[in-house]
Amino acid sequence: MSTQPNFAPDREQESIESRRSNLRPVEKRAITVAVAGNPNSGKSTLINAIAGTRLQVGNWAGVTVEKKEAIFEYGGCRIRLVDLPGTYSLSPYTQEEIIARDYLVHERPDLVINVVDATNLERNLYLTVQIMELGIPVVMALNIYDEAQAKGYRIDVPGIEKMLGITVVPTSATKKDGLDELLKKVLDTTANPTGQKPAQLGYGLDVETAIRLVSETLTVNQPALIERYPLRWLALKLIEADAHVIEETKIGTIAVLDEALHHLRNAHGEDIEALMADTRYSLASGLTREVLKKPELRKTDLTEKIDRVVLNRFLGIPIFLTAMWIMFKLTFDVSKPFADWVAAMISGPLTHWATALANLIHAPDWTVSLLTDGVIAGTGNVLGFVPMIFAMMFFITFLEGSGYMARAAFVMDRAMHAIGLHGKSFIPMLLGFGCNVPAIYATRTMENPRDKALTGLLIPLMSCGARLPVYIVFIGAFFPNHGGSVLWSLYVMGIGLAIFMGFIFKRTLFRGEAPMFIMELPPYRMPSFRSLMIHTWEKGKHFLVKAGTYILAVSIMVWFLLNLPWGVEHKKDSYLGKIGQVSAPVLAPLGFGTWEASSSLIAGLIAKEIVVGTMGEIYVKKDAEKKPETPTFGDDLKEAGTSLVKAGKESFSNVFSTLGVSSLSADENAEKAAERNPLRAELKKHFTPLTAYAFIVFVLLYMPCVIAAVAMVQEFRTWKWYGVAFAYQMVLAWGMACLVFQGGMLLGLGG
Amino acid sequence: MNLSKLRPGEKGTITAIGSIGPLKRRLMDMGILVGVEVKVLKVAPLGDPIEVTVKSYNLSLRKKEAEGISVEVAA
Repeated sequence: MSTQPNFAPDREQESIESRRSNLRPVEKRAITVAVAGNPNSGKSTLINAIAGTRLQVGNWAGVTVEKKEAIFEYGGCRIRLVDLPGTYSLSPYTQEEIIARDYLVHERPDLVINVVDATNLERNLYLTVQIMELGIPVVMALNIYDEAQAKGYRIDVPGIEKMLGITVVPTSATKKDGLDELLKKVLDTTANPTGQKPAQLGYGLDVETAIRLVSETLTVNQPALIERYPLRWLALKLIEADAHVIEETKIGTIAVLDEALHHLRNAHGEDIEALMADTRYSLASGLTREVLKKPELRKTDLTEKIDRVVLNRFLGIPIFLTAMWIMFKLTFDVSKPFADWVAAMISGPLTHWATALANLIHAPDWTVSLLTDGVIAGTGNVLGFVPMIFAMMFFITFLEGSGYMARAAFVMDRAMHAIGLHGKSFIPMLLGFGCNVPAIYATRTMENPRDKALTGLLIPLMSCGARLPVYIVFIGAFFPNHGGSVLWSLYVMGIGLAIFMGFIFKRTLFRGEAPMFIMELPPYRMPSFRSLMIHTWEKGKHFLVKAGTYILAVSIMVWFLLNLPWGVEHKKDSYLGKIGQVSAPVLAPLGFGTWEASSSLIAGLIAKEIVVGTMGEIYVKKDAEKKPETPTFGDDLKEAGTSLVKAGKESFSNVFSTLGVSSLSADENAEKAAERNPLRAELKKHFTPLTAYAFIVFVLLYMPCVIAAVAMVQEFRTWKWYGVAFAYQMVLAWGMACLVFQGGMLLGLGG
Repeated sequence: MNLSKLRPGEKGTITAIGSIGPLKRRLMDMGILVGVEVKVLKVAPLGDPIEVTVKSYNLSLRKKEAEGISVEVAA
């Protein structure tokens, strides 16, 4: 694994921290509490229930793993809660595990809340055993306790406390049960200076002897290391030959260690790592046997019943596809009326009031244009995405929280794995047909960075909704009788090329063993609504703040390109027109090497649908501009209110309508296209059917729009993958359009 | 006999884990250990991956990953 150790604390976070701590009254107690647990143990729900909107969401330094933190007061104490990534173990093999253990080892929180799924005690205790090795005080939240009781499980809570030497609090995070008690025990444990360390579990005579030998040597020879690491933990890691720790400590060879290992190998075989896993699991199994009584007669539970249908050999795929279709519709159709409303408000009332205001103070024309066409339009561009991001995050979080996401991956993995992807890649790819931006954000459901990056690279080949207006205009002008087949051919071409590029990437940039699939299929559960909403809100906010800034900047830049030098009569003389003229010869082999075409394509950087708007401005001679009547402020407010209500109604009814109002349906766009009739006529003068097809193929494939670019950079935390996407898509677009045009000419379709 | 060959409903006891490195560690962390009983529940509609029960929870893994896990089928 190429993941670097991660002790460099998140600088931004840290500086806020230190500023806050300066303000802190000196007498107040402040503690740092890390929350660790298995995936699907209800950890997120528990944290959301405790911290709510006080949660700050960011990323762990240098990686794409989400970091959540909250600071709040409880019982006169300032608690800083740090959510560690959900892990099954603290091995050195995945990003999540390395982050969790580096935090515990190097940041040494005052206490660890270990969230344990009461319905799945044994595997959860395996992590508990490893956390206890660190010697940090632990309080166990025995979560999902209500469900365990409903299943008839009897858990001896004092028994666990006695055997592990830690406090155990039964909790049901979705019902907010036991959370108060949990925080009280956290305070009690940290306040109590004696006897707060968890019990030291016996690892069997042979291992203990080895630990003692190594510990003694370390104490004598490596005092500096003992300062930095918990002794028993370090000894254990050296015995396990943990590559990460050996590299980090630069410890080299220790004679005593070799001797200790030699004894262990003689007694237990070559694989010490396996011996350790066995030892820890035996402890977890032994404890589970002692404290857990399951009912004699096991009922077929709900999960089993659902899975019988959902994972059925014949029904599995149809059910999955139906579920996906519903999710796709909900994501894009529920959000669309709101996005349209935002766009209408910004291009309507906000723009003309800003114009009026600017005119009032006699601002020069170009500043008015910069304000309205640059800043306000750019803001609209950002805000238009927000409803979609919210809707997507809501559904993705629901799918994950309910347990269906794992099933979706299970059903689709065979097909996706064939092109080097993961079963979980399917959903982001599908969302790509609506809009590439939420699709790229949706790759966060994948754990492995390689799976994420490869999926992200292929998403732009999914023909998004913004490309549709371009297709429609050209189809209307050149292929009115074969619209369906031309449109279909473009979608299929995108998918086909994604499969092709998947194969290429698998053999080039992503060579080597594919990441593993080994994945828990958790029981189905109803996610807590509060937790869902908090998560969705956090993501939407994150997008607004982080991505918003970039997008706004690029919008303003494009305004400069389009409108400068100020006062140009013809678009040809603007900077954009000039760049278009320079780059036009490159497009000549594709059949559309004109400055008009290339300028429009460059403007499509903002969003591919802008290609149509720019073509309209360039090709169609403007009539004398119609001055729209300026409504009064009161009218505007009223209009804003009624249209929002209308948007709400429309969004609601979209949920229930079936095929009719899909965002992909061509009808409504066809109407819009009809309004662009003058453009259609102009296009017929400049393109032939062959060059038109080459052009729309180019539009399908060339570079991702700037918002998708920002999403990629933000989600993958590097410019690298956007660079790769940009480069390969440009080559692909040029190559395919060239193939279409030159091939067509050879076949005599040029006329 | 290895785990990928078991049919849905069949049970076995793990006798050896032939995989190496991170894959082996991950399997062990998920409770796939020598002496542990596994039961194959389902095969995905497209024939891969498979779902098994181990340590009283459900785990899915690709057949390729299951090939390295030797099992002794319970009579």
